[in-house]
Amino acid sequence: MARTRSPLLYVFLAVPVAYLLAFIGFPIVFNVTMSFQEVTIGNLAMFFRPFVGLDNYREVIADPTFRKVLINSLIFVFANVVGQISIGLCVALFFAENFAGAHYLRGLLLSAWMLPGLVVGALWKWMYATDYGVANYVLAKLRIVNGPVHWLSDPAMGLTAVNIAHIWYIMPFSMILIAAGLTTIPQEQYEAAALDGAGAVRRFRHVTLPALSPTLLAVACLVTIYSMRAFDMIVSLTHGGPLDSTNVLPLLSYQFSFEQFQFGVGAAIGTFAFILVIVVALVYVRTLNKEVSL
Amino acid sequence: MRHVLPRLAGLRPKRILYPCLATIGVAIYLFPIYWMLISGFKNSAEIFANPPTFVPRDPNLEAFEFVFVHENIARYLRNSLIIAIPVMALTLILGSMGAYAMSRIRSRIVDFALIVVLMLQVFPDALVATPVFIVFQTLGILNTFLAVILATTSKLLAFALVILRPMFRQVPLELEEASFVDGCSQFQAFLRIALPIMRVPLLVVGAIVFVQAYGQFVYPLTLMNQQSLQPGTVGIYGFVGSEHADWHRVMAFSSIYVLPILVLFLLLQKKIVAGLTAGALK
Repeated sequence: MARTRSPLLYVFLAVPVAYLLAFIGFPIVFNVTMSFQEVTIGNLAMFFRPFVGLDNYREVIADPTFRKVLINSLIFVFANVVGQISIGLCVALFFAENFAGAHYLRGLLLSAWMLPGLVVGALWKWMYATDYGVANYVLAKLRIVNGPVHWLSDPAMGLTAVNIAHIWYIMPFSMILIAAGLTTIPQEQYEAAALDGAGAVRRFRHVTLPALSPTLLAVACLVTIYSMRAFDMIVSLTHGGPLDSTNVLPLLSYQFSFEQFQFGVGAAIGTFAFILVIVVALVYVRTLNKEVSL
Repeated sequence: MRHVLPRLAGLRPKRILYPCLATIGVAIYLFPIYWMLISGFKNSAEIFANPPTFVPRDPNLEAFEFVFVHENIARYLRNSLIIAIPVMALTLILGSMGAYAMSRIRSRIVDFALIVVLMLQVFPDALVATPVFIVFQTLGILNTFLAVILATTSKLLAFALVILRPMFRQVPLELEEASFVDGCSQFQAFLRIALPIMRVPLLVVGAIVFVQAYGQFVYPLTLMNQQSLQPGTVGIYGFVGSEHADWHRVMAFSSIYVLPILVLFLLLQKKIVAGLTAGALK
């Protein structure tokens, strides 16, 4: 076994980890540092800049737009976790019936997830068009709505439109992960429950759900992380508008940095998003460790 | 023969109803993709028709011609490939090195490295883009493909490591130990034994990484301001910008752009699904 401890292995491990630390770890530290500094175009390239304490954070918290966008982000993440997991679970359970073509058809859904976010945003923007969009036409035909819905121009509708598009985009991925979790539940448990006289609903509640809950928790974490990354799709679908009704933290941070050149404020907004994903990532890593030790 | 009929009757819902329901459901779900693909074949009048036409009345290639002649889609496609192919190569090299090491070293260092990798994977690239922009500006490599390739690789490397690690564990240690007896070094064992066995997983991860790099948007948008260098995603973004876009042309552009992705996916569907489920939850 001494052979397997070749020093080369440590080099092999160190190179990719060092790469990640250099291109992601260091930028994150840099960004958090910037959030405590006064950053101008002039001193942008320096690491040491005037220290301003929590000034950037005070400015951010006092900004009503930030509060609105923070709430948008939380709604967006929550709607995606609930929407993707509930729909994904139903779809996964349906395909778990193992009929002819089930595997192929289920996999086909994943083609939505393979598309670039930017294309998904453009496509849904076209379908959401008020007067000639296919969404309003179909909804009117099915008599679900009376007049045209202003999906992207009504601030009250914008976030719903973005939620639907994003759930459509990522749900197949969540569903595939849930389906993988379903296959690990031993068939005997269902047979035993059926022998005890448990119906389909009770089998689901007492066998499927408890066995699946670690998977569902892991998927919920992944959906949160993915939703916090939804920049591309939102930029092309709404660019955060109308009136910031669909703006989210990463986009607002990007706008402060690259449209208003207030890099310190942008960095402070970024820190809020970092905290959110770090907390979720810690939960995710813990669920993975548990699954491994089981 | 007599026994077959009742059994068939009992199975009927599964054998006929379920596949039908599933086919219809999947068709409805993927309708937006169909809508994208057919919109490009409409002309500028039909695109605004109310009610919309679900099959192009007079299919024509005007929109496709337009995006080739006036929107330089060929250049955008070329730029996307110039970014995606090196990203794929770099990610596979670094990813297989790291995943191999993680599967062979027995020490807590691996657990620690894995947690670092998992944690670094979660940060939204729109937020990492600002500091990366500043660092690359200092290094003087803004407006180069190199900048976008380096940054995009960092985003996908963590993902590749997480998926490849459990797969490399399946390479039997005995095979390598036998080769050590024959005088192979660790590096030769990696190159000649582990990598050939891993070719299918590497193909799958390579395909997924390629697709992600090909659709990358934030880094080219941030790190390059010369239009002639931009990939297709930034091209579409500029094209959609206005409220009243020429949707048949935008959709023609999008269709051509995503065609390689869809073809790759249909060819490797089964393996991609298996690869994703192996990595994300284990």
